[in-house]
Amino acid sequence: MDDSPSIVKEGKPARRILWMSSVLLLLPLGLAATPGPGQLEKTFATTPNPQISFSNLRGQIMVRGLDKLQVHATCTIVSPRVEMDTEALPRTGPAERIRFTAHVLDPLVTGSDETIDCALEVPLGASLEVRNQQGSVKIEKLQGHTWVESAGGRIAAADVAGHLTARSLGGDIEIIRPSGHVVEAFSINGTLRFEAPTSRRLRGNTNSGKITYHGDFVLGADYVLSTYSGDIEVFCPPSASFELKAKTVKGKLDNTVRLTPTRRPVTPLYSASSLLGTHNTGSATVELTSFSGTIRIREQP
Amino acid sequence: MPELNHDELDPGRAACRQFDADLPAYLEGEERPRVVAHTRLCPFCAVILADMEQIRFVSRHLALEEPAAKVWVNIRTALAREETFREPATGWHRWLPRFAFQFSAAPVAAMACLTILSLTLLIPPREFERKGTADRLAPSSKTTVATALTLGLDSRLAQTLREMEKSYLAGEMFLEPTLKATYRKSLESLDVSINETLSHCQREPADTLARQYLLSAYQSKAEVLASALEFEGR
Repeated sequence: MDDSPSIVKEGKPARRILWMSSVLLLLPLGLAATPGPGQLEKTFATTPNPQISFSNLRGQIMVRGLDKLQVHATCTIVSPRVEMDTEALPRTGPAERIRFTAHVLDPLVTGSDETIDCALEVPLGASLEVRNQQGSVKIEKLQGHTWVESAGGRIAAADVAGHLTARSLGGDIEIIRPSGHVVEAFSINGTLRFEAPTSRRLRGNTNSGKITYHGDFVLGADYVLSTYSGDIEVFCPPSASFELKAKTVKGKLDNTVRLTPTRRPVTPLYSASSLLGTHNTGSATVELTSFSGTIRIREQP
Repeated sequence: MPELNHDELDPGRAACRQFDADLPAYLEGEERPRVVAHTRLCPFCAVILADMEQIRFVSRHLALEEPAAKVWVNIRTALAREETFREPATGWHRWLPRFAFQFSAAPVAAMACLTILSLTLLIPPREFERKGTADRLAPSSKTTVATALTLGLDSRLAQTLREMEKSYLAGEMFLEPTLKATYRKSLESLDVSINETLSHCQREPADTLARQYLLSAYQSKAEVLASALEFEGR
């Protein structure tokens, strides 16, 4: 009877040591098992004009054109439950096509666990196709065809010299100094911003977003900007030469640029408010339309 | 000891097996409330149901695919060589294979919508009156023309869009919440545009710009739904 408490007293430190040892042993294993961000870094030698397609679920994508015949990708993969597949064709020699595809390994993965952030350096002449469901896409200095689509992400493209198409349902689209023949931007709720374009054919369409255009108009080029309920604001230099066709169904027209009125076309079915005129010699065609948004045309200070 | 069957050991799997058993009948249109109820509890079966709904929707809108033109040419050459077939093909039949659909279902549905919509909207109101609507409606009335426009949309395009929307809503729960919110917002925004332009067109049927906006809003909605259905299908 008297011995039993002493046995317990002696056993406690032993158990504690055993317990502590177990914790110390298991802790590093637990830390190793904790899912953390993974890194993917790959480099592919390419032809001067490779076709690159990139499909991602969520994350920030940055693509930059460089004067090198290679594609270098650096990706941060938030969860081990998603992966980024890469495939280059042909399998030997400089790649003509490279495909990056994000895959979910666990069908129950959602939210930020789907995130893969990637930075790509590609040849200047590369053609690019990017699908990023959620998250921003930023593109700089490309000369090939560029096609970008996102559901909710913002798209920003700067100094793209090839055909550029940007589509985002809810994200804003910003296009700076595009010089390719065709530039197209489509959104439903996002705003569109064009800065100093030198393209010959520019299209911008959004349902409820605002459209802003800053810059001159290229000789012989045509510009079509349309919004449903958002406003359109055009700021051009006093030297800009263009023929304006501005029409709105229920919105307002607000113009401070001096225009020489052109004869209104005889269309009996036509009932919208319109502003038709020429500024300087009218070498470019600018068509602005809205259903209920205000259309403003201003000279840049 | 009495032998337990698998269902008693694992009721979850039993429910999945029941789901499998009920699924064909449910897809045939029979009442199977357990199918939908089970998908709320079992994400894997929910994915299967979503896929099946998607396939059903897609197959309903897919055009019959023609063999490649080369196949017909080879057959024709062989038959002509055997002198069993001499009659030359005429008219559009020769061209048909070139227009065979090669796209996935969602864009095909969107294309169908746009074709119907274009036909409906791009025919000016006067054409509507000329081509038979006048038989039923007073040609000079603005309201009747607008009604014809609305009826045209309801009966064809709107039906296709409704099908797409229904399909989308059936699988919407499987979309990631942020993505779902983006699609919801876009669709709501387009619905506002459609309703406003539609009512404007009813008041001002001659307003071509408003009609263009109506066309554009329907077109955008078809594209958004097609895109959403593609995401749901993944």
